[in-house]
Amino acid sequence: MITLTHFLVVGACIFAIGLYAVIARRNAILVLVGIELMINAAILNLVAFGRYDSTRYGGQAFALFAIVLAAAGVAVALAIILNVYKHYKTINPEDINKLRD
Amino acid sequence: MPLPTLTYPVLAAVSAVLLPFVGFLLQALMGKRSQNGAIALITIALSLLAAGYTFAQVWGNEPIHVQWRWFTIGQQVFYVGLLLDNVSVLMLLLVAFVALPVHAYSVAYMKGDSGIHRYWTYLSLFCSAMLGLVVADNLLLMYVCWELVGFASYLLIGFWFTRDAAAAANKKAFIVNRIGDIGFLIGFAILYSFLGTLDLNTLFGQEGFFATASGAEASGIIAHPKIPAGWLTTAGLAFFLGAMAKSAQFPLHVWLPAAMEGPTSVSSLIHAATMVAAGVFLLARIFPLFDDTALLVIATTGAVTAFVAAYFALTQYDIKKILAYSTISQLGFMMVGIGIGMYQLALFYLVTHAFFKCLLFLGAGAIIHELQHLNDKHQLGIDPQDIRHMGGLRKYMPITFVTMLIASLALAGFPLTAGYLSKDALLIHAFEWAALQNDASVAIPYVLAVASILTSFYILRLLAKVFLGSPAIGVMTSARPHEASAWMLVPMLVLAACSLFPLFTTSPLNYGQAWLLQKILPMAALPPLPLLHVLVPLLTTMATVAMTLLVWQWYVKQKYPLKAGGLFFRLSQQQGYVDVFYDRIVAAAVLRCSNVLFWVDKHIIDGAVNGLAALGRILAAIAGWVDQRLVDGFVRLVGKLAWGLGNVLRRSQTGRLQDYMASVFFIILVILLYHLIVQA
Amino acid sequence: MNPHLLTILIFIPLVAAMIMFIVPSGKRAAYKYIALITGILQLVLSGGMYCLFHPKGAGISEERLYQFVDHIPWIRLDMGSFGRLEIDYFIGVDGLSMPLLFLSALVMVVAIGASWNVQKSVKGYFILLMILDMAVMGVFSALDFFLFYVFYELMLLPLYFLIGIWGGARREYAAMKFFLYTLFGSVFMLLIMVGLYFSVTNPDTGAHTFNMLHMMNPANYVNGSFFSALANQELFGISARLLGFVVLFIAFAIKVPIVPLHTWLPDAHVEAPTPISIILAGILLKVGGYGILRICFSIFPDAALQSAWWLGLIGVVSIVYGALVALAQRDLKRMIAYSSVSHMGFVLLGIASLTTEGTAGALFQMVSHGFLSAALFFLVGMLYDRVHDRNIYHFRGLATVMPRYTVFIAVAFFASLGLPGFSAFIGEVFVIIGAFNAESINGLLPRWMAIAGSLGILLSAVYFLWTLQRMFFGQVRLKGGNVWSAALTDASPRETVIMVPMLALALVLGIYPALALDKINASVLALVELITK
Repeated sequence: MITLTHFLVVGACIFAIGLYAVIARRNAILVLVGIELMINAAILNLVAFGRYDSTRYGGQAFALFAIVLAAAGVAVALAIILNVYKHYKTINPEDINKLRD
Repeated sequence: MPLPTLTYPVLAAVSAVLLPFVGFLLQALMGKRSQNGAIALITIALSLLAAGYTFAQVWGNEPIHVQWRWFTIGQQVFYVGLLLDNVSVLMLLLVAFVALPVHAYSVAYMKGDSGIHRYWTYLSLFCSAMLGLVVADNLLLMYVCWELVGFASYLLIGFWFTRDAAAAANKKAFIVNRIGDIGFLIGFAILYSFLGTLDLNTLFGQEGFFATASGAEASGIIAHPKIPAGWLTTAGLAFFLGAMAKSAQFPLHVWLPAAMEGPTSVSSLIHAATMVAAGVFLLARIFPLFDDTALLVIATTGAVTAFVAAYFALTQYDIKKILAYSTISQLGFMMVGIGIGMYQLALFYLVTHAFFKCLLFLGAGAIIHELQHLNDKHQLGIDPQDIRHMGGLRKYMPITFVTMLIASLALAGFPLTAGYLSKDALLIHAFEWAALQNDASVAIPYVLAVASILTSFYILRLLAKVFLGSPAIGVMTSARPHEASAWMLVPMLVLAACSLFPLFTTSPLNYGQAWLLQKILPMAALPPLPLLHVLVPLLTTMATVAMTLLVWQWYVKQKYPLKAGGLFFRLSQQQGYVDVFYDRIVAAAVLRCSNVLFWVDKHIIDGAVNGLAALGRILAAIAGWVDQRLVDGFVRLVGKLAWGLGNVLRRSQTGRLQDYMASVFFIILVILLYHLIVQA
Repeated sequence: MNPHLLTILIFIPLVAAMIMFIVPSGKRAAYKYIALITGILQLVLSGGMYCLFHPKGAGISEERLYQFVDHIPWIRLDMGSFGRLEIDYFIGVDGLSMPLLFLSALVMVVAIGASWNVQKSVKGYFILLMILDMAVMGVFSALDFFLFYVFYELMLLPLYFLIGIWGGARREYAAMKFFLYTLFGSVFMLLIMVGLYFSVTNPDTGAHTFNMLHMMNPANYVNGSFFSALANQELFGISARLLGFVVLFIAFAIKVPIVPLHTWLPDAHVEAPTPISIILAGILLKVGGYGILRICFSIFPDAALQSAWWLGLIGVVSIVYGALVALAQRDLKRMIAYSSVSHMGFVLLGIASLTTEGTAGALFQMVSHGFLSAALFFLVGMLYDRVHDRNIYHFRGLATVMPRYTVFIAVAFFASLGLPGFSAFIGEVFVIIGAFNAESINGLLPRWMAIAGSLGILLSAVYFLWTLQRMFFGQVRLKGGNVWSAALTDASPRETVIMVPMLALALVLGIYPALALDKINASVLALVELITK
């Protein structure tokens, strides 16, 4: 039988993979992918916990809301990446360190 | 209080004192424009007239006492006034009478001196102060005049101030006199402290504080109930200290021989006849004050002085020094007179001595004047005061010789002179007094007798060396010194006449008949020893004759048996090394002390002050160091710490998004872990 | 008669200083003439007041017995729980201050006369001199402690600059030493003053007061207050009143000065320019003696009686020590400075005796020393002006070169050493008599102190006569040779005009001391009565 715990473990794994991608990848697109993975991990959790709210389906509703937001976010993020590329001629986050003091 | 009525004698006495003072002021204002001394001469002559009038009016009558308010201090009123009694009018007359011939003499003696205007000014000041001294009615006023005569004497001793010796001598005179002044001051401070007054009449008059004590028991004064016996003695000794300095008693006599640096006319008036006698006069004035202890000290000091000074006089070569020591010696005689309670005799001797000693100095002055003249004319380069350069002057200056002879005989106490009357009276009474004593003080009259014989010797030696024999300098015979001018001779003759007996008594051999003694005060009764009255005069006269023969043999016949240079000779020649002692020991000790104190001042006291300042500076330096290093250091440490920390933290600012994300994640992880652990 | 004469007397110099301030600094001569006119005006005014002064006006502790009184509320500040601050502009004159006021006016004229040849920044010099003048007058007439303190401190400042700028080679050292010494005393005086303020109330208003006359009356002390005689408070185991007395005494004694607090004096005198030496010796030292009488003794009579023995001892030590050290000096000015220490010792001895003779003698001695020391410093200045040397050993036979100068200096020397006929004699003799009397009248001083003090009279003769002999008598021998003998001209008319009145005054006071004593007596009696009753 698949319990809540199984969902949570899968979610955590996805989150960890996404986190790894965000921190370690050398490509901004893949970082963005990592972010999407972490969002999806969160959505999975929402849906999994949604089972306990069978009257109002708050979990599912919130998951849908998050998916839409993530899509919008990706759009903005891709636009930023494009602009970064235009400016720096690279999308490797290692090389973009203008924020350094 | 109402002004006292001015009777004629008072007016005369006041003018006698003030006339010379007016003279002094006039001459001081005129300065160099008054050269001939006319002002001084006229004022002193008028003063003598006034003094004579006062004397005639007061002598033998009731004393006159007038006073005016001088100033008030607190509630105590001090007066300035005159006390005219037998003693003071006698002294008034004496001073004026001796001063006039000396003034006249000075006209010739000081002629041509470049500072002569000063001479007359000072002389008038002296006369005024001295006359004021004798008539003053209270001790404060007396003290004022007492110091002023000392001041005038200072000025006159240093008259030739370009000579170093004169400048040293007047300093010495003033300082030694100052020692005495302090005695005087302490003396009257004691009296004032216990009795509340300084008025002579209230203190010593007929109904004064000491009246009951004196009179009947002349020498056995009971302590006044208001003064403890110890303080009474102290007061007596303090006054005596004053008299010792002024009257040149051993060991405070050193200033008088030195004072001979002044002009000889000054020496004759001030340092022989009048001022030095002021000490004796003071003691006579306050005589009832003295108790037995004080009197014994006075008598002893007097006897020692009489002998020691006579001894010093034996070997001196300077004619004025011989006379100076002679003066000291005779003042010692007078002190003995006071000490044995016979102050009348002391005063009598003071009067007679004034005449013949003044005359001796004037005679010496005439000789010095003449020798100085020769010296200048022939370029001899000799000391005109050295008797070794004189000799045989009798031929050239016969009148001087005769007058000097009279004076010398009077000094030696030869019959028919005034000195015989007074000195032998003193000696006789000293013996009578000694008969009542039963301790060592019986020696006093014997010492006096020896001193008296020595006196005969040295004065005859002087005469012989100066006037007899043959001239010591060859020039003398050709240059032919001559008598001094009439201005100098007449005063000498007047004084010579006064040195003989007729002025004082009609019976030349009995002092008891002297009018002076009969009037001053009834003589206190010592048990008379009739034998002495014959024996003493006889013996002293014989001694004088013997001395004459001896001197004739030694100095005129040139058969001098002694070797110069023996211990006793040197001791006498060097005046007992008293001066040396003062210079090398006393003065040196004072100077040493003052230098040590100055060192203390500079190094210890000022050192402490500077040390305090240095300490302050050190403290300030420490505080500054603390401020800079510790306080400021802490502040800078904080700053540095912040800077260093920042430096470390800036490393984390890589600017890479992923690093930031990692750290955010890491921090969240830490927070989560923290919660996990805390909640567990 | 203008009721504000005293105020006018005090503030004339201030007006003069303001005028000087306006006058452009190009007109150098103008300043000294303004100063001279001010000085003479003050002299005439104070002389007039001296004549008007009624000899029966005792003063001391009763306001109605003071004369020329000006009493105006000055500072009234409500201080909440501390009560109302009551400071008055309260001035007046009695027998203690009247002679000193006249003396100050006279010495000021002499000092201005001696400043005639000042070259360095004339404007500043005379303005400071005027401020000093005002402060001095104020000190002698203030009867409010606060006012007194203000004038007292105000006196210090101009002096510091006058010594520090116009002085000799070591002027900075001397000025600093003088300033610190005096400040040391006055700072503690401030403490005592505040303590007294909180202990004393004005019986009319009930407020705390700085009025000195109220401080003299034991009834005005607040119950249990610090300085109340009844409360008998103690601090460090010493009675508070004794402590207050001692501290005030030290403050004033530094000014007198006493041994061993005297070492500022020789340095200050030697380094100060002549006119400032004259003011220092002539006036400043008297502020010390005056303060002891007016403040220490009057406010703390009980403590004064307790410590009279020590005061007498200090006086005697000062007399003898000062005289002995004077004997060791080679610098003429320094010698005279030490002689001042000795002569001011007499003042202390006389005051300590607490007899009428001694106290009046001390006051008289202050006045007399004022004239004489001013004259002496002026004379030294004359010599220094000519050859810029003061070493006694560098001169000999000056009497031949400068006869009139020698007459002046001889008269001044003899007057100082107490020759009868001059004022110092009266002062010293009555101090000695008073000290001698003390044992039988109030038993405060033993007689040996008087005898030891009289040694000073002897020693003063020694050093003065030695100097006369060394410098003035004998054959002419000068260190500077012909250059000097050409430079050493006799006293000029200006110098003669200054010297003669000073010496004449010393003479007049010596011959007829009643001139001063008649004004002093009533106050001295009242003072002695106040203290020893």
